[in-house]
Amino acid sequence: MQAATALRGRKAASGQAAGQRRWLGHLLVVPTAVWTLAFFVIPLALITVFSFGTENLVTFNVGFGWTASNYAAFGSDLYLSTLLRSLALSLGTTAACALLGFPLAFFISRQRPRAQRVLLAAVIVPFWTSFLVRTYSWVNLLQTDGPVDRLAFGITGHHLQILYSPASIAIGMTYSYLPLMVLPIYVALERISPDLYAAAADLGARPWRQFRRVVLPLARPGLIAGIIIVGVPATGEYVIPEILGGGKTLMIGNIIVGQYLDVGDYPFGSALAVSLMVILMAMLFALRRVQPAVEPR
Amino acid sequence: MRLRAHPVAGALALAVVGFLWIPILAVAVNSINQNSLMISWGGATAHWYARALHDPNVRTGLTTTIEIALGSTLVSLVIAISGALWWRHASARARAVYDATVYARIILPEVVFATALFFLFLKTHFPLGIVAIIIGHSVWNSAYAAVIIQARLVSLDPAMEEAAADLGATPWRAFRRVTFAALLPGIIAGGLLTFTFSFDDVVTSYFLGGSAASPLPLVLFGMIRFRITPEINAIGVMVMLFTVTLMGVAVAAFALMGSAGRGRRGALAEFYGQ
Repeated sequence: MQAATALRGRKAASGQAAGQRRWLGHLLVVPTAVWTLAFFVIPLALITVFSFGTENLVTFNVGFGWTASNYAAFGSDLYLSTLLRSLALSLGTTAACALLGFPLAFFISRQRPRAQRVLLAAVIVPFWTSFLVRTYSWVNLLQTDGPVDRLAFGITGHHLQILYSPASIAIGMTYSYLPLMVLPIYVALERISPDLYAAAADLGARPWRQFRRVVLPLARPGLIAGIIIVGVPATGEYVIPEILGGGKTLMIGNIIVGQYLDVGDYPFGSALAVSLMVILMAMLFALRRVQPAVEPR
Repeated sequence: MRLRAHPVAGALALAVVGFLWIPILAVAVNSINQNSLMISWGGATAHWYARALHDPNVRTGLTTTIEIALGSTLVSLVIAISGALWWRHASARARAVYDATVYARIILPEVVFATALFFLFLKTHFPLGIVAIIIGHSVWNSAYAAVIIQARLVSLDPAMEEAAADLGATPWRAFRRVTFAALLPGIIAGGLLTFTFSFDDVVTSYFLGGSAASPLPLVLFGMIRFRITPEINAIGVMVMLFTVTLMGVAVAAFALMGSAGRGRRGALAEFYGQ
């Protein structure tokens, strides 16, 4: 009896508390909101505003007046060609990742569950381990008289000399970003029922036709996700060109860092960063447009 | 012919796996290679390991890195867990805004984000150093943790929480025993991932560390840019063993979730697949 009363009392109290709890529930967004606003949205807004400002290079005081001169400097050959090279390297890296990653993701998705787990681990484990050291490893592999060069010399009789060139940056980026392409494609392919392949084969479709008519359309969302996750960060890559570019400013990320940390021209550095952000956002919107509506889970 | 058994696909796939592992093998081999130019094999030595372990910069770098990784993991988890709990009861529109900010924090090139935060700290005279790096890392790390913990929400049945309340559990007890327990594998996995990403970061630390803080990746970055030394390979092998062990634990947590492990940004694969 006493227990029943206590239970009823508790239920009534919980009814009263429900409204209060809902209110508290909304408060849970505060950490995310504060962090995102203060340390993500506001800083990005700040550099956007200051990219239209000017700086006294003697006192390092950034004055604020609407000027587009920082963006005008961007039109000079040096910066424009670096930007174009960044876009080309990112495009090449994304294409190479797709060409290498698609067959791998497809192969993994067609294995038995145990083999799938082993192969996925083989793709993901390199991705977890010191990115810096793995990139540096390519300096050893690609240097003149290094393993890759010796192999090429043995076959063609010529030295490769690709270290510290855009080609070595493309290799390093493809290597680093490849798992990011494999994973979303795998997730998309893994959901395809084997019955679909069997049906296509039974209806007389040859492998190439099965691939084109069954695999490719169903893998499309994963492929586009992979293109976004690889292409966007690769365009702003800094560390890989710094190590494999041999100190030459080959990509836009290196110029942005240089303007900030070496030259100290913050408005110009900001203009470069904002331009990169705008270009990438445009790319993102274009890609999202071709992304078909994501089916509900 | 069944597509599954196509020999070209199989050979290409295994070649790509080889491509992913060759540089790691090269690091391992050169970490015990006596030939300091690392062009050919000069016999085995433990010299580089000894040198790495006695390098004072490496030692202080390691301590700094662990402090930063622990701090940013803690902050990221608080943000991601509270966000995930909020997300469950949020409106569709609010969820869309939340998801977009998570997505943006992951996808924006680190160079752009790091310059922006550096500029904010400069203008507000916020001191650069360990705290600044922790704040910077937690901005993107909390987004990865959010994706992973949110994936775990699917397995959380509201009926279980109602049942706990009906059976007389206090709200706190119901939260602890039902809600938190269901999210725990995601929290462990997310925490270990964020720790590893923070442990490995160069760009954000480079901007926000100033002259006050030099975590291990920055020490390595400096070594790589200014001289070639096999010591880097020895440090690399040790760092790899350490992070692989950590991630092994993360995978075990993921296995509890019935889902494959993923890396930084790779978490998006699942996010997108949903």
